[in-house]
Amino acid sequence: MITMERVSLRYAKGDPWALEDVDLDVTRGEFCFVVGESGSGKSSLLRLVILEQRPTSGRVLVAGHDLGELAPRRVHLLRRQIGTVFQDFRLLSGKTVAQNVAYVLQVLGASRHEIKQRVPETLALVGLDGKGKRLPHELSGGEQQRVAIARAMVNKPPILLADEPTGNLDPDTSQDIVAILDRINRAGTTVVMATHDTTIVDRFRKRVVQLHDGVVVRDQAEGGYREVVAP
Amino acid sequence: MRPGFLLGEVGNGLRRNFSMFVSVVLVTMVSLFFLGVGLLAQAQVNTAKGEWYDRVQVSIFLCTPDSTDAPGCAGGAVTPEQRDQVESDLQGLEPLVTEYFYESNEEAYERFTEQFRNSSALDSVPQESIPASFRVNLSDPSRYEVIRAAFEQAPGVDSVEDQREVVDRLFAFLGALSWGALALAVAMVVCAVLLISTTIRLTAWTRRRETAIQRMVGASAFSIHLPFILETVAAALLGAALAVALLWATVRFGISGFLSELLAGESGLVSLVGERDLWLITPFLVGGAILLAVVTAWMALLRHVRV
Ligand SMILES: Nc1ncnc2c1ncn2[C@@H]1O[C@H](COP(=O)(O)OP(=O)(O)OP(=O)(O)O)[C@@H](O)[C@H]1O
Ligand SMILES: [Mg+2]
Repeated sequence: MITMERVSLRYAKGDPWALEDVDLDVTRGEFCFVVGESGSGKSSLLRLVILEQRPTSGRVLVAGHDLGELAPRRVHLLRRQIGTVFQDFRLLSGKTVAQNVAYVLQVLGASRHEIKQRVPETLALVGLDGKGKRLPHELSGGEQQRVAIARAMVNKPPILLADEPTGNLDPDTSQDIVAILDRINRAGTTVVMATHDTTIVDRFRKRVVQLHDGVVVRDQAEGGYREVVAP
Repeated sequence: MRPGFLLGEVGNGLRRNFSMFVSVVLVTMVSLFFLGVGLLAQAQVNTAKGEWYDRVQVSIFLCTPDSTDAPGCAGGAVTPEQRDQVESDLQGLEPLVTEYFYESNEEAYERFTEQFRNSSALDSVPQESIPASFRVNLSDPSRYEVIRAAFEQAPGVDSVEDQREVVDRLFAFLGALSWGALALAVAMVVCAVLLISTTIRLTAWTRRRETAIQRMVGASAFSIHLPFILETVAAALLGAALAVALLWATVRFGISGFLSELLAGESGLVSLVGERDLWLITPFLVGGAILLAVVTAWMALLRHVRV
């Protein structure tokens, strides 16, 4: 689903490499943690997938598209295949929960009927049924992040990227959020989540890709945060 | 994007940046107004020149009891014999003189009082001091000098006047007005362009969250840009409508009303620019406003709204 071949990235000439010679293959339906200390390149890696950034060298393939050959005016079609969630939620503060989620469908030109059906469905998926009329500031952080997940998933993208989605949340709430991502993953969506939350990674036992100074230093199935080699 | 949702977004945008919207409307209005004045004045000069030159006349004013300066008036007011002599001399100048008619002292006075009926200061002008005259049409108006040479010194003739001078003064005025208005229009269009760019930048800033989300979920560049462009076009169209209304008022009450009455009194000339000319340039003003809005907004969007 997401393939990187010898991908290197540097933001400006003379800068150190943000990513160096990264080879990565995330298959359809996989759940993958990307871990590493601050500045190791986790966000940069995700940015390459949504073409927020083009690599300095190497090849990125997403959902069958070679991103190097994707014309700029077709980039938005790629982004429709990918839901994105961030640490800071990025909700529209003037819109209700339901309006925030519906906004995506409206922007993409869905019919009123479709919106009426998909929005409550998706809110139920993240455990927010009945809270559609609330405004974002009337919700807890965990609930706001659920809205963001609902918004990312409402047009059913095959890929979900989450960049430190639990960075602003307490441990229990974080677990709930990752449990939701896990549930979404089990329903067939490929999930890539960047994090430095050790407890979460240790607990969920998914594939772990560890970055250090832009280099992949570990790629382990069912790994923990600091495990080097399984016994 | 569905039309209903799109209109909602445009309406929201206008409400949020209402003061900027109003300033774009006003700047567009003023620039198009000056552009319109320039174009109308130009049209006036071009269409009226031939027509007016054909119709202008040379006036031969005859002596009144008051006129003493002219050599022909040494004997006081014109006598009937002197008048008949001038008339027969005019007949001798055919075919240069194509037509002439005599305006008697009574007729001239009537016209004079009619023309100045609103100014009381002139009430006391006695009828004798309004001169009788011959109004002469020439086959070639540029040969006015021939008439002047023939009659300036003639007995009973006070003065010879070429109406073309009046008309030329008017054309000079219209020409200056036209270029002045066009220069102002250019300056105002530059203002409009800068203001629209700034407005787009501000609007892009106030709506950066929405734009970021649209981008993130895969809205096309076109659909992200469209509300911005439609808002600008709406402002420009409203400005254009106001400019046309203002031009209409100017033509209707300013030119058709005041100026042409004045001119009709002065020289018998009418056919200044009318509403018809305004309707002719209206599509260009509106089209220009739309073009200006779309091009400027689009350039500003390329700079300020990343997609
Ligand atoms: N827009 C940018 N311009 C220049 N350098 C950047 C930019 N974004 C990131 N970098 C650099 O690239 C490197 C990797 O940054 P990145 O944001 O990918 O790290 P990260 O693993 O996501 O860190 P964190 O855990 O703090 O979010 C860092 O050295 C950072 O300074
Ligand atoms: Mg990061």
